[in-house]
Amino acid sequence: MDEEPERAKRWEGGYERTWEVLKEDESGSLKATVEDILFQAKRKRVFEGHGQVRLGMMRHLFVIIDSSRSMEDQDLKPNRLTSTLKLMEFFVEEYFDQNPISQIGIITTKNKRAEKLTDLAGNPKKHLAALKKAVDSTCVGEPSLYNSLNCVALPSGTDIKEILVIFSSLTTCDPANIYELIKTLNALKIRVSVIGLSAEVRVCTILTRETGGSYNVILDESHFKELLMLHVKPPPASSSSECSLIRMGFPQHVIASMSDQDAKPSFSMLHLDSTGEPGLTLGGYYCPQCRAKYTELPVECKVCGLTLVSAPHLARSFHHLFPLEAFQETPLEEYEGERFCETCQGELKDKCVFTCLACKKVFCVECDLFIHDTLHCCPGCMQTDRTS
Amino acid sequence: SLLTVCVMHISSGAPAASDSTILPFLSVAMASLSEEVLLVVKRVRQRKQDGTLYLMAERLAWGPEGKDRFTVSHLYADIRCQKISPDGKAKIQLQLVLHTGESTTFHFANESTALKDRDVAKELLQQLLPKFKKKANKELEEKNRMLQEDPVLFQLYKDLVVSQVISAEEFWANRLSLNSVEHSLSNNNKQEVGISAAFLADIRPQTDGCNGLRYNLTTDIIESIFRTYPTVKQKYAENVPHNMTEKEFWTRFFQSHYFHRDRINTGLQDIFSECAKEDEKGLKSMVTQGVKNPMVDLLSLEDKTLDEGYGTATVPTTSNSSNKSLRENSNSAIIKRFNHHSAMVLAAGLLFFFYVQQERHQILTSLFVAFQVKLQEAIEYDDLQGDSGRKTISLNLKKSDRYSHGPIPLQSQHYSTSQDIINSISIIQHEMRSYKPRLTQVMSSSAASSAITALSPGGVLMQGGGQQTINQLVPTDVQSELKHLYTAAGELLRHFWSCFPISTPFLEEKVVKMKSNLEKFQVMKLRPFQEKIQRQYLSTNLTGHLEEMLQAAYNKFQAWQTRRMMRKT
Repeated sequence: MDEEPERAKRWEGGYERTWEVLKEDESGSLKATVEDILFQAKRKRVFEGHGQVRLGMMRHLFVIIDSSRSMEDQDLKPNRLTSTLKLMEFFVEEYFDQNPISQIGIITTKNKRAEKLTDLAGNPKKHLAALKKAVDSTCVGEPSLYNSLNCVALPSGTDIKEILVIFSSLTTCDPANIYELIKTLNALKIRVSVIGLSAEVRVCTILTRETGGSYNVILDESHFKELLMLHVKPPPASSSSECSLIRMGFPQHVIASMSDQDAKPSFSMLHLDSTGEPGLTLGGYYCPQCRAKYTELPVECKVCGLTLVSAPHLARSFHHLFPLEAFQETPLEEYEGERFCETCQGELKDKCVFTCLACKKVFCVECDLFIHDTLHCCPGCMQTDRTS
Repeated sequence: SLLTVCVMHISSGAPAASDSTILPFLSVAMASLSEEVLLVVKRVRQRKQDGTLYLMAERLAWGPEGKDRFTVSHLYADIRCQKISPDGKAKIQLQLVLHTGESTTFHFANESTALKDRDVAKELLQQLLPKFKKKANKELEEKNRMLQEDPVLFQLYKDLVVSQVISAEEFWANRLSLNSVEHSLSNNNKQEVGISAAFLADIRPQTDGCNGLRYNLTTDIIESIFRTYPTVKQKYAENVPHNMTEKEFWTRFFQSHYFHRDRINTGLQDIFSECAKEDEKGLKSMVTQGVKNPMVDLLSLEDKTLDEGYGTATVPTTSNSSNKSLRENSNSAIIKRFNHHSAMVLAAGLLFFFYVQQERHQILTSLFVAFQVKLQEAIEYDDLQGDSGRKTISLNLKKSDRYSHGPIPLQSQHYSTSQDIINSISIIQHEMRSYKPRLTQVMSSSAASSAITALSPGGVLMQGGGQQTINQLVPTDVQSELKHLYTAAGELLRHFWSCFPISTPFLEEKVVKMKSNLEKFQVMKLRPFQEKIQRQYLSTNLTGHLEEMLQAAYNKFQAWQTRRMMRKT
């Protein structure tokens, strides 16, 4: 009971000096306070993520997954590697959902070497297939941060702007001085972030600090998922990147039928290798420059290199640029309206209620998070528009 | 003298053969370049003729006495291995065995220095041969491997190169550069690998049941041992395969006292006793060099104890070795060994780091910076500081409401705004609310049912699902041949489109060449296919799309040509 005024204080008093707040409960566990800290960090992100910031939308992200011996540890069920790969599948789907014109590539590191799992590509299918297959791979040896970062930085240095490392081991076996490599990465303006699975490792701290990335260590599987999802949002553009015009094609979907006089069956340029795919089809998307055919968008034309997208793909990323305004927070005691959340219709029982400044409807804490993280538009505002 | 290193111009009449096919072959190229000569040995006989042996940067050559041309010349890359005549034989010889199976024998005939000559030559070859072994065949192997692994690529090669649409060089030109980037990631040989600090512990001996131990050595571990202990590498090179097999070498290694803890120099005729001495020397030199970092005080790390649990006090160190107990001696031996091991592991990894930083003032400035950083770290603690936050650039959009509605189309289209749609929905809702059925003015039932049939799946107006039938109409072999044509055409078109925008004369030439390649492809591959399917009475236009793609390329070429001519006039 007397914890309540303390909690209210913490809420209003800002987020510094979190170590003062760590208190043990009767059994000596810190779990409740840690959960609290996490929850507050989540709310802080909602406040901070505010609009009118230039973002890097056409992202090129490389994910480096540690496959060393420490990934066989069973603190994540069934073992760290399986759990990581499963979460990666989810991450890849979300990533392409939120950033349709971006690309991802995956690298694994074990036995002091780095191996490429998939190339940088904009199609999620290949990545998902490779991740599913990788569950059977063995975890052996030590990882090598240097080799995996070097693999990424070397060939296509100018394109890659982000690297995410999932690092479980506490050591790394490098053939050369990693601080030199950090300097190179800085020169190439590559941002490296790390998600640690064991503990904080100094070299990762320095790596992320120097390149401007973030470093977090997971507590458990749900926290791992949350940290991964943080990287789905496009990051703010670095100060030196200039705006450039990018050429894109917007092909129309053509549907033809056999009765058309000039029906031309054709192969999609991506289906030439596979034998199982449908093969000859009548319709599809034709590249406006070279007339090559594709069945899905977005895609980079294999023949002429033009990026082919549809307008909704670009529009889908708009909510990053024009995010929903944060709702006004008022303590429950001060709120004098109906005690029901607008969206879930549940009784308002939390400490605070959230009010949309535009339509004046109230929401509970969970709905507020859902609206800001997933929906990106206020249900109250949408309703009022319709009935006007 | 034997070890002259000079630069000499070599010329010869033999023409250089070029690599035009993917079949492996022997290169008999003698380029007229200046190559660095590493070793000259006089009085070397070959086929009963006196002459001089030259070891150069990339090849080995022999010329008869008095003439300045070489009769024998082999690239190191072509030499598979070398053999020497056993000690004790009257004739001191060195034989080179080439990849083709041929062998050349050199007889060192200088009475006084023959053995020395031969050994010097042999050692130099020993160092040079491994460097070149991989290079020459690597490209051919790579090409072969790529063709074997990827049947699509092989088919493409057959379609394009074998039928002479494009030349082999063009085919490989883009391919190799693409794939070498990818292969540098997957080809483990190219990755430099660090040395794990625990590599000796990883060997993990297992008991094999009869009082013996099995050691499992992988190539990684062997490489780590060689890099950390270069003397062992030297011993290996000297003894294997002449004096003992690899297995024997490693057995002796693990048996020797060198490897085991109690490294007491028993003075045995162990091949590894030298290694121990070298290590001692190395350790002593490291100690005398000391540490250049003023922030590190190694002397404060001594063991000082009063008694168990009673803290520390400075005890006068007894540097007199006779006072030390036996236990202290073996303890210090282990500690010395660990220190040496760590020092060697670090040194092996950071070798070139030291070479780079050899300028004295560079060392001083870097130390100064390190000093400042260390002080900074000692007085400040990052976690205590507030989050400085990342500097973000603000978005500067003019007319941001354009993003909510989409662009205005250039053609005059009837464009309904969202407001129009909302209005029309509310009008329909209103009409629905006040709907009264007027049964005298409806359609006849036959008209209604025919409309429904037409709009059901499979009906006249719902022909979108036509792809099923296409796949069944066209036989599979025709389809697969068409797929090959698509792959080949795609490849050619990709080369074509990659030339734009044309900025250099090289690209101009390339684009003209690619256009003619496309025309060749159309004539040589596409037309015969079209005729074939016409003979099979297939009515569908299977090559229409390919022709469309080729036409788009021709149009682009046309446009570029006209623009170029307009610029010139």
